[in-house]
Amino acid sequence: MDVASIDETIAGEFRFLVQERAGWSLVAGPQDLELVAHALRVLLHTGALGDFRDEYRALAACQHADGGWAPRSDEPASTVWVSAFCALMQLRGNRILGEPVLAASVGRAIDYFLDTQQDDGRWVDPRWADLDTTSHPVSFFNVVLALGERHRRADVERAWRRGLRFILDRQTPEGGWHDAGFHPSGVEITAHLIQDALVADLVLGERVPGIRDACRRGLACLRGWQAADGSWDEENVDHTMDSVRSSMVVSRILGDDAATTAPIERGLAWILRHKNAHGWGDFPGMETNLERTCDGIDTLCKYRAFAAADPRAVVRLWGYVP
Amino acid sequence: MSPETEAGWVPVARLEELDARGRAVVRVGATEIALVTAEGRVFAIQGRCPHRGGPLVRGFVEAGPAIRCPMHGWRFDLETGASDRPARATVYPVRVEGGQISIRL
Repeated sequence: MDVASIDETIAGEFRFLVQERAGWSLVAGPQDLELVAHALRVLLHTGALGDFRDEYRALAACQHADGGWAPRSDEPASTVWVSAFCALMQLRGNRILGEPVLAASVGRAIDYFLDTQQDDGRWVDPRWADLDTTSHPVSFFNVVLALGERHRRADVERAWRRGLRFILDRQTPEGGWHDAGFHPSGVEITAHLIQDALVADLVLGERVPGIRDACRRGLACLRGWQAADGSWDEENVDHTMDSVRSSMVVSRILGDDAATTAPIERGLAWILRHKNAHGWGDFPGMETNLERTCDGIDTLCKYRAFAAADPRAVVRLWGYVP
Repeated sequence: MSPETEAGWVPVARLEELDARGRAVVRVGATEIALVTAEGRVFAIQGRCPHRGGPLVRGFVEAGPAIRCPMHGWRFDLETGASDRPARATVYPVRVEGGQISIRL
């Protein structure tokens, strides 16, 4: 893959995203917070967040008293999935920004996830499958643990272990995860679970038995589900981006690059072939939307890190190493 | 004005214009509508999932009949638009006469 061309694409798409700032900026007004979190991740991974400090402050300002966020910034009720994405961006962004108001926001978010975990270790959100929902607070706690955040540390580690157990216990014998109510094919949920929830433990010292094998089997499933043209899930751009990103970080941590680099390259080539003049749509030929464009930029940033000389560079873009 | 239009029926496509799976996206004014064939009938449902805007025309048809969004799996009854998720999709009555598909808005 021509990295100079990828750098050029990242720069061009980032300029487009900034041009479209009114569509995702909390400073401009109420927003869809899932989109905002996607955009903040791009700011983080392109090194631009210092120029957008007000966006992080605005995200803290629309956090609810219970420590969570709603799907839209002007809605009153917190939900788990979007709260975890927002909290993760606050935590990782504040490593660079160093603002007390953001540190306090992260502490409140930790309280929220500790308060909302169910007895069996899962988190629930009516908009998402339970496995997918559970992966998000676990992902946030992965980074809380990796970065040495001290707030309620023992409670966090206990909740994190219970969340991981809920996920591990639901892996199918084939190696993937499925949810009959949301994700029958298993592609997106498997890609999410191994990259966002499970694999971090291998960087954090392998505290939970069984994770290495679970990740290896999940990654093998992802490879097996890839279509000959390089895409996943019937040309689904979102799920192909998820699968490529997941394959990069999981294979790197497992030391499994030899088996997975070719599928990653095929997937990335497919993504680049189906880019619109500006941005990406949900399927080939569809109009650009900003969320998918953020995912596209993020995928390219992670590929650049995957191809870098430092083998940990790609892992750093998940926040699992400082 | 045609009798169909007078009665609120709007011709949107012919059967032979549906793809191999019996599906098509049509537009009536600014409204995008997915035509989906299930259990031998053509159904009409809003084009985009109320969750994250996924294209329902690319969804997975299930018994019910129902369609599941290809993005995050929200499922909608094709007769009523009802869902187990916190949303409801708009569905439209469909009439097929002489190969002409019409919907009532």
